[in-house]
Amino acid sequence: MTAVALRDVSLVYPGGTVAVNDVSLSVADGEFVVLLGPSGCGKSSILRMVAGLQRPTRGQVVLDGAPADDVPARSRGVSMVFQDFALYPHLTVGDNIGFPLDVSGCPRQERTERIAEVADAFGIGDLLGRRPAELSGGQRQRAAMARAIVRGPRVLLMDEPLSNLDAVLRSGLRAEIAGLARSLGLTVLYVTHDQIEAQTMADRIAVLRNGVLEDEGLPDEVYRHPATMHVAAFLGSPRMSLFRAYVQVVVDSHVALHVGGQVIDLPWPDMRARAVAHYDGEDIAVGARTEALRPAPPGSSGSVLTGQVRHLEHHGHETLVSVDVGAWGVEPSGLHELRTGELVLRVRPDVRPVRGEHVGVHLCLEQLHFFDLADGRRIGPRGRRR
Amino acid sequence: MTLVAEEVRIEVPVSGAPKRGVVSRLVSRLGNGFVQLVLALVALFWLVPVFGLLIASLRDESANTASGWWTVFTKPSELTLDNYADLVANQAVWQSFLNTFYIAVPATVLVVVMAALASYALSWIEFPGRETLTVVVVGLLVMPIQVALIPVAKLFGAFGLFGTITGVVLFHVAFGLPFAIFLLRNFFTGIPRDLIEAARMDGATEWVIFKRVVLPVAKPAIASLTIFQFLWVWNDMLVALVFADQDSAPITVALRAQLRQFGTNIDLLATGAFLSMVVPLAVFLVFQKYFVQGVLAGSTK
Amino acid sequence: MKLRQSVDAAPGRSPRQAIPFLLPALVVLAALVLYPLVFSLIRSFFDAGGDEFVGLRNYVDTFTDPRTLTAFRNNVIWVVVAPAAVTGIGLVLAVLTERIRWATAFRLVLFMPMAISLFASGIIFRLVYEEAPEQGVVNAALVGVHDLFSPSSQYPGARPRDGYTRTEEGYVATAPSRAGDTVMVPLTGFSPQEVPARALPASQPATGNGELRGLVWLDVSVGGNAGKVDPIERGLPGIGLEAVRDGKVVARTTTGDDGRFTFPDLASDEVVVRLPASNFALPFRGLTWLGPSLITPVIISSWIWIMTGFAITFIAAGLSAIPRDALEAARVDGATEWQVFRRVTIPLLSPVLLVVFVTLVINVLKIFELVFVIAPGSVQSEANVLALQMWQVSFGTGGDQGAGSALAVILFLLVAPAMLFNIRRFRRERS
Repeated sequence: MTAVALRDVSLVYPGGTVAVNDVSLSVADGEFVVLLGPSGCGKSSILRMVAGLQRPTRGQVVLDGAPADDVPARSRGVSMVFQDFALYPHLTVGDNIGFPLDVSGCPRQERTERIAEVADAFGIGDLLGRRPAELSGGQRQRAAMARAIVRGPRVLLMDEPLSNLDAVLRSGLRAEIAGLARSLGLTVLYVTHDQIEAQTMADRIAVLRNGVLEDEGLPDEVYRHPATMHVAAFLGSPRMSLFRAYVQVVVDSHVALHVGGQVIDLPWPDMRARAVAHYDGEDIAVGARTEALRPAPPGSSGSVLTGQVRHLEHHGHETLVSVDVGAWGVEPSGLHELRTGELVLRVRPDVRPVRGEHVGVHLCLEQLHFFDLADGRRIGPRGRRR
Repeated sequence: MTLVAEEVRIEVPVSGAPKRGVVSRLVSRLGNGFVQLVLALVALFWLVPVFGLLIASLRDESANTASGWWTVFTKPSELTLDNYADLVANQAVWQSFLNTFYIAVPATVLVVVMAALASYALSWIEFPGRETLTVVVVGLLVMPIQVALIPVAKLFGAFGLFGTITGVVLFHVAFGLPFAIFLLRNFFTGIPRDLIEAARMDGATEWVIFKRVVLPVAKPAIASLTIFQFLWVWNDMLVALVFADQDSAPITVALRAQLRQFGTNIDLLATGAFLSMVVPLAVFLVFQKYFVQGVLAGSTK
Repeated sequence: MKLRQSVDAAPGRSPRQAIPFLLPALVVLAALVLYPLVFSLIRSFFDAGGDEFVGLRNYVDTFTDPRTLTAFRNNVIWVVVAPAAVTGIGLVLAVLTERIRWATAFRLVLFMPMAISLFASGIIFRLVYEEAPEQGVVNAALVGVHDLFSPSSQYPGARPRDGYTRTEEGYVATAPSRAGDTVMVPLTGFSPQEVPARALPASQPATGNGELRGLVWLDVSVGGNAGKVDPIERGLPGIGLEAVRDGKVVARTTTGDDGRFTFPDLASDEVVVRLPASNFALPFRGLTWLGPSLITPVIISSWIWIMTGFAITFIAAGLSAIPRDALEAARVDGATEWQVFRRVTIPLLSPVLLVVFVTLVINVLKIFELVFVIAPGSVQSEANVLALQMWQVSFGTGGDQGAGSALAVILFLLVAPAMLFNIRRFRRERS
């Protein structure tokens, strides 16, 4: 059963700015969907339209199968956790949590019980008499969550609820929120710009960019088969290395990708080689995550690019090595076309390459991604999704 | 200057600190002392006139005509509360003192309530013409009340409000509203949107949001406005001069009649003026933070 | 699919919900502010009674009426002098208080007049500037300072009876005298009660050998003979005398307790005895502050007293809003404190100063109570301003509501630029 559906929803501001562009999305009952994207991509606008705080310019929001165009926010059965928690500063924690019950005319006795129940579930039962100003960030977050679910909403909307917390707290709460939502069977639409949150919490993620829904699917699926170069670059840390390659088809043998002055061959039987072959004589973007790259011992052959170590990042448990293989880099946003393409290689911490050293990098062909430079779309056999 | 002083403090322990350090320290010391002296004198200029009025109100008529209030330093025995006793016993003046309350309190309450309601709509409810309406209110901020004296006098005459406390109150409400709306609207729009929307999501109607969220959060602004408006009405003379009759006149208007023979009426005028100042001064001293904020917010009144 | 103009509107919220919130305020504003504005405009084209359309005559009359012209002139003085003075003083004091510890207390003291009524402030300054030095502290202080440098005379208003002509320097004997003569100086025009207690009974001095002697006494005619020394009469001590020869003072002396005086070492040539004017000078009584010539400056000074606290508070708030970084960067760049103030603080503060200034101008244009209270009735026409004139014309002595409306409209037009300034500032802040 579909709890929330957006049908061709667009939001255009009076100045002509398009915040949301023709987005369709549905969230099943009990599903945890994360809207992921950089700031200003329109994800919060979608949330506000679902909440009933904003009316779409075009399209329709459907709740439980019924169009919600003229249903005011307070009657939608939807509740929301705000980025800065939006706790009422003049009310105690208990009164904050009880506010939705109070305004809907819930009798005092029942209200008190519900408040206690929800507060206990969030471990803030002993803070009910305090003011929001006297709470820590994590406690505020819990109070805001408690207030959001106390009415038993059909849908819970969360707008970057963890972004105002410190890193340690954040990782703890990620699991807690996701666990709680599942145990309560809540339908959640969760907005974040943090791809780790998206991947750890979501049943399904939807990636937005400039108001357009670029990709949607299971977290793992989107990570492994990003629909566009932007999604690819946005997901994963360290960021996917993207560089330019010239395609040359050697019929019935292989497709040669010229990367700087070096060549990688895609064997013809590879289905993706057929797709890439359409770009014969043109440039495409090649993407490689660190998982696709391994250091190649000197003299090894195959899909190896050699280059110079540009810089190193020691992370303790691993070291990231940037290797300049003499390729043109690709920026998904198209702003820095002339950046040098560097491959980011992950090595064990005890391996200590030296800056300026020449090293070979082995590329695992199966894990490479190919994108059309013009529209950023993935090149490959169609039919993964959509 | 403060920076210089700090520099010096750092330089001192260092052996062979440059001579300039010591000199500039001396200069800044003297300079600061001089500044303090000047400011103390300025403050004296501000206090002495009020102090003089206070002393004059505590001396009887013959003492006031014979010698200045400053002779009290040599003859403190002249001080007496008789003037105040007389004033309070004076039915007309005492009535006018009460009238001032009867005018100021409702005029303040009405303005605060009406302005809060209107400001909520101007801040948080979308309606066509909202911009225009706000700009009109801003424009009305500086409207001279003289513009309305004649027409409103006619209007009140027609409705039997001329010469009544109600009329005076209504006029004050009308001319208090633009500033009040301006001040509260500024504050209301500064309330985080999330807070309003959270309430909306929590199931609150506009009325509930206004009453349960906006008003409590806007307490400081309401306090500023209340004090400001109260003092404005309390201190008015012109409006009451036109619209109040003898029975509804506030203290400023009641005392005005005594102005003609100022020299011989000092005891009465000083006492009356001081009585009229007691309430505003008390309000000011107790709530000065809010009052100053109100004045800052309403820079254009 | 629907296409909507506004995106801000949330579903289920109609403009109708705004009506109950807005209605009370709008009704009052429309009835008592907007309607009167229009009414005043129309009314200003009708005569005193409101029956006859007179076109622009009220305006023409207004601009030819000498009282209104005085009011205009005074308003111009006010606008030119007062707001600039308050802004300047406020700026200086705000900057000075930045460095002292009791800044808050200081600002509180200066802000206090804002809390009390203009009426009470008027009374305060009426008292301060009261002309009699026994009542007005300003004149009392002036007299004190004056008497410190030129002590007042002992016998104000007294004058010799006969045989003396009055000159700038004093009273000069018409007849010359020489050593050995006795000069009698009977004084009148002075109350016997005011004679110093040490004065001894007057008696004819003996003729001196080679000395010019004389007597100065209070010659009361009632119960005595004019010009003669009577037993009840007393000599006047401490009167200065000069012997003048060819316009030059050759000797000076002073009377003793019995009123006698002696010029001991005069050469034998003729001299003229002169009593310097300082003996009889009327006491300095200060200035007529509340008279026609000083009244406007006096009222302006009291307005400055009232408004300076406002300017300081506002400017101090502006000062504290200046980013410390900007000032420190300038200091690090080698600017002196004065340069920092002149080149960084002032430019950053200028929007605040402008707002303060405009606010003060608006306030000045509406000035009413201060003039009404401080200026005594007889000089009110000298101190007149438009707001007061409007009241007087329509409600005071005039009773001409046509002319009053014209004045109200003029006042409105004078404030209108400030209104536009506010609206523009408001618009800019919003965008």
